[in-house]
Amino acid sequence: MSTRSPDSPPHLEAEGFARSEPAPSPAVRSRAPGATAGGALPLLAVAGLAVLVLAGVSLLIGVSHVSWDALLAPQENHRAVQVLVISRVPRTLALVLAGMSLAVAGLIMQMLARNRFVEPFTAGTAESASLGLLAVTIFAPGLPILARTAVAAGFSMAGTALFLLILRRIPLRSALVVPIVGLVLGAIFDATTTFFAYRFSLLQSLMSWTTGDFSSVLRGRYELLWGAFVLTVVAYVVADRFTVAGMGEAFTTNLGLSHPRILALGLAIVAMVTAVVVATVGMIPFIGLIVPNLVSLIVGDNARRSIPWVAVMGAGFVLVCDIAGRVVRQPYEIPVGTVAGVVGSLLFLHLLLRRDARVG
Amino acid sequence: MSPSPQRFPLLLAALIGVAAIGLAVYVLRPSEAPAPAGAAPEEAASPGAGAGRPITHAQGSTVVAANLKEVVVFDLAALDTLDALGVEVQGVAGEYFPGQLAKYADAKKYPRFGTLFEPDYEAIHAARPDLVITGGRSSARYAKLSAIAPTIDQLTDDAHYLDTVVGNTERLASVFGKEERARALIESLRQAISDLKQTTAARGRGLIVLTSGGRMSAYGPGSRFGVLHEDFGIPPAAPSLKASLHGEAIGSEFILETNPDWLFVIDRDAAIGEGGGAQRLLDNELVRQTSAWKQGQVVYLDPANTYLIGGGIQSVRRLLEQISDVYAKPRQPTAP
Repeated sequence: MSTRSPDSPPHLEAEGFARSEPAPSPAVRSRAPGATAGGALPLLAVAGLAVLVLAGVSLLIGVSHVSWDALLAPQENHRAVQVLVISRVPRTLALVLAGMSLAVAGLIMQMLARNRFVEPFTAGTAESASLGLLAVTIFAPGLPILARTAVAAGFSMAGTALFLLILRRIPLRSALVVPIVGLVLGAIFDATTTFFAYRFSLLQSLMSWTTGDFSSVLRGRYELLWGAFVLTVVAYVVADRFTVAGMGEAFTTNLGLSHPRILALGLAIVAMVTAVVVATVGMIPFIGLIVPNLVSLIVGDNARRSIPWVAVMGAGFVLVCDIAGRVVRQPYEIPVGTVAGVVGSLLFLHLLLRRDARVG
Repeated sequence: MSPSPQRFPLLLAALIGVAAIGLAVYVLRPSEAPAPAGAAPEEAASPGAGAGRPITHAQGSTVVAANLKEVVVFDLAALDTLDALGVEVQGVAGEYFPGQLAKYADAKKYPRFGTLFEPDYEAIHAARPDLVITGGRSSARYAKLSAIAPTIDQLTDDAHYLDTVVGNTERLASVFGKEERARALIESLRQAISDLKQTTAARGRGLIVLTSGGRMSAYGPGSRFGVLHEDFGIPPAAPSLKASLHGEAIGSEFILETNPDWLFVIDRDAAIGEGGGAQRLLDNELVRQTSAWKQGQVVYLDPANTYLIGGGIQSVRRLLEQISDVYAKPRQPTAP
């Protein structure tokens, strides 16, 4: 597959759509080869609108009756407004933020590892965050969520630093070494976590906090996810570096950039995003894997062009999964992690078979 | 950046391999169960010597000797009932013995035979107990255990909770010749329940919520905590809740909308001795609006007793007493 237009100054191309909302941007320079690139911006606007509609639907779904009528009616709207403000808006925001940041984290991971099948959940990042959460539960169960997340982020950073350290020590002859190291490290973290969880009879608790679930999201309990959003914006700002890094260490060095530094920055972003999401709502599998792959089919591998896409579609994916999970068994819920697992694995298989067929 | 073409077949092969292993595990797993199930009747018929008599239980009938010297218990509810009946056991499972079962934590006096979920088969093989009792969490291990030693399995039927507790108590009483004691316990429990029942019906609807790792699930009639509704007579606030082992995942909005007069909370994390955060989880802007919260009728059930021990006759008695206590108190709004 092709890495498109490293020659064009990409920061000019995509001005004004760092967010999920479609922004009117007249200046699209579609110098990139490939038929899809020229139509990408209107398409992105459509995708953004679709996500906005999904967000609107998400606001209206829930146990309490919240409808536009109820909100606009002067009387009796007290309950509806309250539910909207306390529960619905935070939940929808949390879904969008988590979806965006996880998908972008997956993209960064894939570019840095130069492997399509890497995401935070396969590189020890999520596993070390979950080990941190376990440590909090065992040693300081009374900590507030902010402190829990901080500890998880610390563990996640440490785990990722270890990942980097190992990468630096071993000869990277093949791009495959990176994800394999990640998988091995992740498995070790996972085994450690499971062992202690088993010892302390916490296996079920472990499962409940590692399964992505937005049911406990309320005002005051999700705000950390804005941190993940900020990191996503940072990722967008430095997107070109990831594009370059994605073309290999030699190429990067030839351009006068420090490959290890880009690697470190990217992994730091990924580690923090993952820790925040895992600590706040749990693990949501497949987003980081599927969304970037789907997007690369549409717009190619230029990070600056694909990050807005990845963010929008990541948000959409999580919104769809959560809406489905809430509707199927109303008024009860199916955790978004479970729905995403089912939908994601199907999509993944489809992607795999389809690409396999295309590549031959 | 892009994977080389030849990697795809490899990945696909790996995927198929994993799927095949998964399938194999799935296919092979059930074969564990049927084999000993077929062996169970034979077990019942052949050993046991002349002195034994058949005891009918949840998974068949087992010949149990009259004079039991070595008894190993894999169920906290059974242990709880045996404790109430005054029966000494010689071996237990697990590490955590809360509340009334605290004395079993002494590992020197009561040797361990694995955990509630995973028996230490070798230890049992070596000890050759006269009787093994399973139930609840260890019921699935009945088949394997009964191949080693005479085993009886205590019934868990959430839909008929009280009947199950009574039936299990009577079974254990008959095994150990403690019928008198059992009758007294059951009689007194039934009396206390009928006393409580007179007060609960008129005092509003209740919702049972279990919290675990920052998540909540709701339980209704016929569930493992359904005894509150069905036997204690507390009207369910969410009658549509179907029975299921792990409840239904809910959010605070569900509690707000159900608006129970009583909120019965089981803090699973606290039950297993890991802190617990039910209060923190429930103390939010939505739950604070429910009438249960406003009237100070959020009841944190003794988590270990309710969640871990469940179905033992003392355990039910304690649950009943806790609920009788809160219902006996006059309403007093405590929420600020």
